[in-house]
Amino acid sequence: MTAPEPPAPGVSAALTVTTLKRIGMTHAVIIPDSESRLLFESLNADPDVMVISPTREGESIAIAAGLWAGGSRPWVVIQNTGLMEAGDALRGCGIGPRVPLRLIVGWRGYAGAQAGRLPIDSAYPYTEPLLAAWGVPTWHLMDDGDIGVLGAMDEAAATASHPAAVITGYGFRP
Amino acid sequence: MTDVPMERLDVLKCLAELRTDEIVVMTMTATLQWPLVSDHPLDFDFLAFGMGHASDFGLGLALARPERRTVVLKGDGGLLMSLGSLVTLGRHGPENLIVLLLENRSYEMTGGQPLPEGPDFVALARAAGVAGGGLTGHGTVARIETLEELAEALPRILSEPGPHFVVLPVQTRHPLPPVDHSDHAGRVIALRNALGVD
Repeated sequence: MTAPEPPAPGVSAALTVTTLKRIGMTHAVIIPDSESRLLFESLNADPDVMVISPTREGESIAIAAGLWAGGSRPWVVIQNTGLMEAGDALRGCGIGPRVPLRLIVGWRGYAGAQAGRLPIDSAYPYTEPLLAAWGVPTWHLMDDGDIGVLGAMDEAAATASHPAAVITGYGFRP
Repeated sequence: MTDVPMERLDVLKCLAELRTDEIVVMTMTATLQWPLVSDHPLDFDFLAFGMGHASDFGLGLALARPERRTVVLKGDGGLLMSLGSLVTLGRHGPENLIVLLLENRSYEMTGGQPLPEGPDFVALARAAGVAGGGLTGHGTVARIETLEELAEALPRILSEPGPHFVVLPVQTRHPLPPVDHSDHAGRVIALRNALGVD
């Protein structure tokens, strides 16, 4: 008798989309990356979700801030590398004006670092300290059992009227 | 093509006279002069909200509030900081979004340092797919060089489906008044209140 196969790493993209819709997401502002590509496909396949794909992460954050100012409930999906590029937008459109941006951040480098693969991706070690330095609270979304963090983060962002982030280390699966 | 740019304050006056219930998002030196011609609850000062991103914010607002138009006043220096936003405008720009590019060929806010020579913002917008683009395929791109042309064109721009991207060569000889830009959170709350957002 063999041991059961361990579950595939990552989070079900379909479960994620269902959860985001249930908690009121109106728009997904997403630039696909290695971690989020299957989520991108699921979002685009859902007729209830308006998907906006800007060219750079700073744009994503400013678009989401405008959507929120107008009464919508957008979520931003970007990679940690793009988050670093978008620092001024996050500061100016989220942290300073206390806009409750909901971010899903792909944690490039996490899976490799956990597996002990060298060299460590330089995007890996800076992700959490950078978000912490900005005062952006974070939750980990690593498998389906973590799906509740989306709701927790959504509520925390609303309560504090401040950006908050969920970080995905293994990305999404179908 | 005229060699004498329009006076920016005259451009702003022209817009203010025709504006009714549009949201007006402005940034950089336009934030200093727009209050001279307008005091409206749907005016939104974007200064310090993220360099180069005023039209991105405006795009989000326009998508969220399809029942009214959003007008963005931004500069050419800001556009150079986020040129990709033209592609996003061409792909996702809604028909109720109007971007007025105040082209003064300088970083005026920081002392008037010249922009790199050469960018043709009309050509860039066309190449980015704005003309005939946007969510409904009604996008337009134009360059307007005189106040007479602007006064004639603005009623159409403010009423016909867009998105519209209009380049307005401007200069200013007027002294720029100081403006309080400090209350970022208050600005957003005021706009949401004016829009009736809970």
